[in-house]
Amino acid sequence: MLRVTSVQKEEKGVRARLVAALRAVPRNLRDDLWTTARDPLPRTGRPSWQDWMPAFALILVLSATFVAIPNINQLVSLYQLDTSYAVLLGVLQSAALVLALVRPVPAWWAVTIAMVVVAAVAAPRTSDVLFPWTGPGLALQGGVLLLLALRVRPRAAVEALAISIMVGLACGLFVSRAHNYGAGTAAAVLTTVVVVGAAVRGSRVARTELVLQEELTAEERARRTQLEERNRIARELHDVLAHHMSLISIQAQVAPHLVEDPPDELRENLAAIRENAVEALTELRRVLGVLRSEDPLADGARHAPQPTLDRLDELVGNVRDAGQTVTTQTTGAPRPLSPGVELSAFRIVQEALSNVMRHSPGTRARVELGYEPHALAIRVTNTAPAEPAPPTRIAGHGLLGMRERATMLGGELAVGPTPDGGYEVTAILPATPRKPPADPVEDTP
Amino acid sequence: MTNIRVLIADDQMMVRQGFTVLLNAEPGIEVVGQAVDGLDAVAKVAELTPDVVLMDIRMPRLGGIEATRRIMEPPGAAVKVLVLTTFDLDEYVYEALRAGASGFLLKDASAADLARAVRVVAAGDALLAPNITKRLIVEFSRLSGTARAPLKERVGDLTERESEVLSLIAQGLSNAEIAEALVVAEQTVKSHVSRILVKLGLRDRTQAAVFAYETGLVRPSGQ
Repeated sequence: MLRVTSVQKEEKGVRARLVAALRAVPRNLRDDLWTTARDPLPRTGRPSWQDWMPAFALILVLSATFVAIPNINQLVSLYQLDTSYAVLLGVLQSAALVLALVRPVPAWWAVTIAMVVVAAVAAPRTSDVLFPWTGPGLALQGGVLLLLALRVRPRAAVEALAISIMVGLACGLFVSRAHNYGAGTAAAVLTTVVVVGAAVRGSRVARTELVLQEELTAEERARRTQLEERNRIARELHDVLAHHMSLISIQAQVAPHLVEDPPDELRENLAAIRENAVEALTELRRVLGVLRSEDPLADGARHAPQPTLDRLDELVGNVRDAGQTVTTQTTGAPRPLSPGVELSAFRIVQEALSNVMRHSPGTRARVELGYEPHALAIRVTNTAPAEPAPPTRIAGHGLLGMRERATMLGGELAVGPTPDGGYEVTAILPATPRKPPADPVEDTP
Repeated sequence: MTNIRVLIADDQMMVRQGFTVLLNAEPGIEVVGQAVDGLDAVAKVAELTPDVVLMDIRMPRLGGIEATRRIMEPPGAAVKVLVLTTFDLDEYVYEALRAGASGFLLKDASAADLARAVRVVAAGDALLAPNITKRLIVEFSRLSGTARAPLKERVGDLTERESEVLSLIAQGLSNAEIAEALVVAEQTVKSHVSRILVKLGLRDRTQAAVFAYETGLVRPSGQ
């Protein structure tokens, strides 16, 4: 019982859906074919379709003209149309083909209406005359349907195809004079062009989507890279900060031991300083716990202190050991800068040199540091490579990181090719004069 | 009783001097030397034979973890390494424990904590900062998933009582606490502990705790 009901229900469901689909047909037809809408030309194709439009238009105009002559000829001789009518209808059909390039749906309407008019006024001369399509006329209609199928949804293309064939059949049926009924041939030709058009469109759409997808992925990757880079920078700076806070807490504890019988006020004050430092450290540890959770640092780097410019020679030495020619030059009087600037400057030079090794191996690199009164200028250049390196499309970690570091400190970073074919990275980091700490040489957090 | 002799290894003079002042102010503790990096620390340990080394992790030339490994390498090394760190619950600290360090200490620890840590490590009868150390070992032994099978056999060498004592060590109990828990004399616990260390070829109770967690003798959930 239950089953019967469910089968009935199912039948009812199928019928209801069928009815709904049939009811939807007029609306779909109106939506699909009573419009000038069509797909935009794809923008992602490499030799842009837009660029090729004039060429396509030229070919279409030529072939439309070429087809118009036999078309008009046949309309006159075989269908016995007045010459003026024949010229008008023939030109209309040819013009529709050209129009189809930009407005496929109206163009299709134009050829279809032209066909009906031709059928209505024609009088086939003999019974072997192809009707209601002349050969050239069928070619034109096929061309329009092909362009239509390339530019609209497959459903709309199929609807247009069905209407074309049905109108053709109707024209044939309503003409009383004897003729060679060409519906079969026409249906085959038109179906073929629509299938081909729809298939080409389908693959193009898929490709476009793929390209879009790739663009999205690349964007996503760039964003993630940036976040990772920011995370790394933040971690390093917090690290330096935590280190200094530790020092404050140690010094605050040591200070009372350095004087004999320190007054209570001093003790209390120093104890408060220590307390604050320890509290700040607790907070910092929390932040760092978040930042450090994903930290793929190389083993060697992990156990070393955060670098400063003191270690620039070491860095350059390593790069030289890797086979890269590097010269260095320092202008102005070197002075200790704030830890953030020192660290960022070191990292920028490091990234720039590793970019040189990656992208232009075998060139000569040059590192210049300029200690200016209120800034540190960094310039890393390399000579032109023997053969141009393949351009990398992905924005490197390196460049991004350098920019982030410079921007964060309120500085600037510029990169680009040099006139002699090499490459140049320039960074200006604001650096106010700083009093040297008690042990400047060993201050390596 | 002789003083506990301490060596301080840190690349920053401020830290070295600070800790020297703080520790020298404590009775029974004497700072005998300072090292500026890992290599220097290894050399100074051989030269000065201190009881305890305060070791920074991040140092130029040779980091503190590798230095600890080198210092603890000779089988008879009696020195204890106390790792100085800016961060607790840090994988570096765990690495340091595996390298042979006996404990770790935050750089911003108070002078009293600092002195207590040096004394505890030198005496070797309790885990340093039992709760944090335990948490650290549990967290990282679970993450590192070290090989367990070959070590199981060695646990087999322990008597039932010794296994019991080892699991209590791993939970951070001192000798006195273990004695209380098992209702035996503290001296008995001491001899149990030293037999455990000898049988397992371990240096101190910190290493024993790491061992207990890594072999699965003690399960983090079972505490």
